[in-house]
Amino acid sequence: MEKISIAVLKKAAHTLLLDMSEEEYALLQSEFDILLNQMDLIGNIKGIDDSAPMTFPFDVTTESMREDAPQDPTPVAEVLKNTGHVYADQVKLPKVVG
Amino acid sequence: MNYLDMTIVEMHHALIEGKTTPIELVREAIKRAKEDTNNAFELILEEQAIKEAETIGEPQPHNLLWGIPFVAKDNFSTKGYPTTASSNILNGFIPLYDATVIAKLRELKAIMIAKATLDELAMGGSGTTGHRGPTFNPYDRSHQRMIGGSSAGSAASVSAGIVPFALGSDTGDSVRKPASYAGLVGFKPTWGRISRYGLFPFAPSLDHVGVLARSVADATIVATAISGYDPNDATSSANPVPDDLHLVTSDVSGMRIAVIKAIVNSPHDKVIKQKFELLTSELKQRGAQVDLVSMRRDLLDAIYPIYITLSCAEATSNNANLDGIKFGPATWGATYAAAMMAARTKGFSELIKRRFIIGSYALMRENQAALFLRAQKGRGMIVAELKRILGHFDLILVPAAPSIAPRFIDKTDKLSEEYLIADNHLVLGNFSGFPSMTVPLGLKEGMPFGVNVMAKAFDERAVLKLALAVEEVTGLKSLMAKGGDTK
Amino acid sequence: MNFEAVIGLEIHVEMKTKSKMFSAAPVTYGAPANSATLPLDLAHPGTMPRLNKQAVINAIRVCDALHMDIDREIWFDRKNYFYSDLPKGYQITQNARPIGKNGYLFVKSSNGLRRINITRLHLEEDTAMQHHFRDYTLLDYNRSGIPLMEIVSEPELHTGLEAADYLDKIRSIVTFADVSTGKMEEGSLRCDVNISLRPVGASKFGTKVEVKNINSISNVAKAIDFEIKRQAQVLIAGQAVAQETRRFDDSLKETVSMRMKTDSVDYKYFTEPNLVPVRLSEEFIAAAIAGCPDLAEAKYKRYIEKLGLSEYDANQLVASQPLCKYFDELIGFGANPKAATNWLSGEITGYLNKTNTTFEQFPISSSRLAELLKLIEKGTISNKQAREILEHMLIEQTSPSVLAERLGMHQISDADALKTIVAQVLDENGQSIADFKQGKDRAFGYLVGQVMKKTGGKANPGLASRLVKEALSRR
Repeated sequence: MEKISIAVLKKAAHTLLLDMSEEEYALLQSEFDILLNQMDLIGNIKGIDDSAPMTFPFDVTTESMREDAPQDPTPVAEVLKNTGHVYADQVKLPKVVG
Repeated sequence: MNYLDMTIVEMHHALIEGKTTPIELVREAIKRAKEDTNNAFELILEEQAIKEAETIGEPQPHNLLWGIPFVAKDNFSTKGYPTTASSNILNGFIPLYDATVIAKLRELKAIMIAKATLDELAMGGSGTTGHRGPTFNPYDRSHQRMIGGSSAGSAASVSAGIVPFALGSDTGDSVRKPASYAGLVGFKPTWGRISRYGLFPFAPSLDHVGVLARSVADATIVATAISGYDPNDATSSANPVPDDLHLVTSDVSGMRIAVIKAIVNSPHDKVIKQKFELLTSELKQRGAQVDLVSMRRDLLDAIYPIYITLSCAEATSNNANLDGIKFGPATWGATYAAAMMAARTKGFSELIKRRFIIGSYALMRENQAALFLRAQKGRGMIVAELKRILGHFDLILVPAAPSIAPRFIDKTDKLSEEYLIADNHLVLGNFSGFPSMTVPLGLKEGMPFGVNVMAKAFDERAVLKLALAVEEVTGLKSLMAKGGDTK
Repeated sequence: MNFEAVIGLEIHVEMKTKSKMFSAAPVTYGAPANSATLPLDLAHPGTMPRLNKQAVINAIRVCDALHMDIDREIWFDRKNYFYSDLPKGYQITQNARPIGKNGYLFVKSSNGLRRINITRLHLEEDTAMQHHFRDYTLLDYNRSGIPLMEIVSEPELHTGLEAADYLDKIRSIVTFADVSTGKMEEGSLRCDVNISLRPVGASKFGTKVEVKNINSISNVAKAIDFEIKRQAQVLIAGQAVAQETRRFDDSLKETVSMRMKTDSVDYKYFTEPNLVPVRLSEEFIAAAIAGCPDLAEAKYKRYIEKLGLSEYDANQLVASQPLCKYFDELIGFGANPKAATNWLSGEITGYLNKTNTTFEQFPISSSRLAELLKLIEKGTISNKQAREILEHMLIEQTSPSVLAERLGMHQISDADALKTIVAQVLDENGQSIADFKQGKDRAFGYLVGQVMKKTGGKANPGLASRLVKEALSRR
């Protein structure tokens, strides 16, 4: 597999709203090398492409669902007690455009 | 012997007989916690714990956990008590609710005395990546050896004799590996047995709540007490929790035990190998059938990449809520995105960021089929293979780790070329959700090492039986990293 | 060059369940900011989703009304992206397995009814509300997690009128099924339009433009009409239509560019691991469908066939679910169907128009109004008296019988008492009798009017009429 470019890694980071130092991107790039080689081992599994992807470890299908009964909501002061910027009982953030 | 060093059952009797009181136990535990030099704690809840002990009410003779002190990994939501998952992005965060397991223990009047350190956001196996720095293995006073992770502080607090049990979480081996390095019993029941409501998620399809204790009986008592269907966790199992596990004996005659060839043949410390062979012959003597079994090599070799892919992918998504806007250290910026980026860039360690990017990469549209979905397929095949083996056997028995606790200078959390099946097989218990327990096997140079037992889904009974037998064979129970009482 | 418009609608329906889609917090409208949340709605770590059964029942009912194939298992996916109104950094939705697929409904087109196919209907959750100010934005999480149904049509609509009718039919279904209040102006019904133009007869699609922020059904039609003209002009000028997102400007009645559409966002969908798949048994689905309140079509049929209403009256009623509901309640309390429709379309609609209020704000309960209508029917009061009582009922919560008592209104329905008065009136109006005998019917009405006048309006008109007629025949 081709070496992943730093540009691709930066884009991936920015999509996650993260940034790192140049050294870290370089380190990540070398980790990716190792990792993608490792991931080839998954490709080596005989019959891999014919099998079904597994999300849950065993059959967990149920018929039960939650009854539509409301619970008492959290008091407003509690809701916002961990919030850094509060105004008029709401969470405040920089103006959102678009 | 201090009452705090006893098993839970012994401690319980002492409490009911009035030989000691919850306050005494709690004060002793807090004293030891404060003297701890292993960096095991995020927060010691001295005032609150003492208050709970003072107002605990009448003793409950039929409740084994009444008045027993314990520690919870700092990724369990505890109402009113700061919970950080050892990450700066949650500094100062005070949860609004208790995790179900915390609420259950509170109801049983067990007393939480502290929150323990972990690898940041539970994403690590060395116990070195939490925002308070490395946690040390109490068995090495020179502080050169790790205790593993991610449930580092939980393991340290129990092995240092500070509390008789601790709650941990296990996504790849995070309870069962530290248990091996710290001479403890590390128990991860079947996926869905114990509610995950309130456990800060790392990878939900792999996450389990686990228990660290100093004996098989203690671990089982706690695990049973906190098991059960929880409507708050849609993935929790409605399978009834057996109430007769305390009656299980160590009689393993007739049990069919599989030892996976590739795992035992993978490089191990010689002492560990020897001790393991002694164990298997002793088990045979006791009437168990122990066989070397083959497991597909191509599947075994893929364990580690499958784990990294799946866990990092789920983790990226699970931690997307940590943006500094609703909670966490306040942030601002020219735009909302800048504000979030500032919080996330500053709040996450570099290691975590790298993991998120890896996870995100595997989920990208152009890569998903080749990376994420393939890893999910690989998981399916591995689980099918395990089911096949356990179709002919009751249990799988293997050394928990290839060595004693590594020294910090020998190991890092960076991805490396080196790949030992022996070091990465415990995640089979997470892929499959099967119940799995690490039990002490021996000591080398004063450092413990353990063995791991795994059975089919919901067959905790079989795990318990073999674990009790191992405990008997080795004679290693209530190990503690203190002067005097370790064997 | 003639162009045809290719239009697809993406509709979001907010459900009026009691609690949210995955959290048990109450569903509210207009409640004080952040007063209807639980930790899950702000994505507190460790919180977990729990599927709302009623939301599933509602979805099944709508799927059935739209003739869709219903998936027997419910699976969810995570749609991962960052935005200020998305607390978890992902939305739980159904990407791979929508609960409903391959449905249709018929819309009015220029040549009769036309079938429009519906690709999918799926369950998801709403985002938080944002209030924008000059230098900052405020977030209210009351709406975060409210159940949503997304309904996506095939791109088979061609005009604004067709689209409006499609939307109207969806609104009818979701309001009559009691799933949603269906109000675009309140955001419980939202519609995004995807529209492109191509030369008539061409098979390849033109460049698609998305139009959002439309706050009424009529504006959907206007937005489409405007877009068709705009895009046609662009194409005729030999230029390319830009692939973009536009918003509808309500004051200009035009679409305005909002942002260029870049390559579609990669949402990195994967199966939600915190929600186990739910199996829908045949019994559950059948019960959900059987328990659905009658939809507009069924009600219309019943009004015509069982209650004998005219097509006009029946249509008036089924145009609005709250109106229909009120009407059904009136009938349930024993009111006469024809009288009920007359009063609803007459006095009451008049009142609503005058006060510029809506039906939900109407202060008289159906049981009280039914009482009033029954008093008229029994002959205890006249229509005129009823109108007077209504005025009082609009401002005070008093029963019509008590009001009739208080206002001293009791119709004279005693035939003997009235006969006397009738005789008196005839005695006093010889000329009118003569006129009537000569075929002037108006004289009859005059005489009845005189009887009403002599009784201060209290005579039962029907009875008065009959007695005057009888008396006239004897003279």
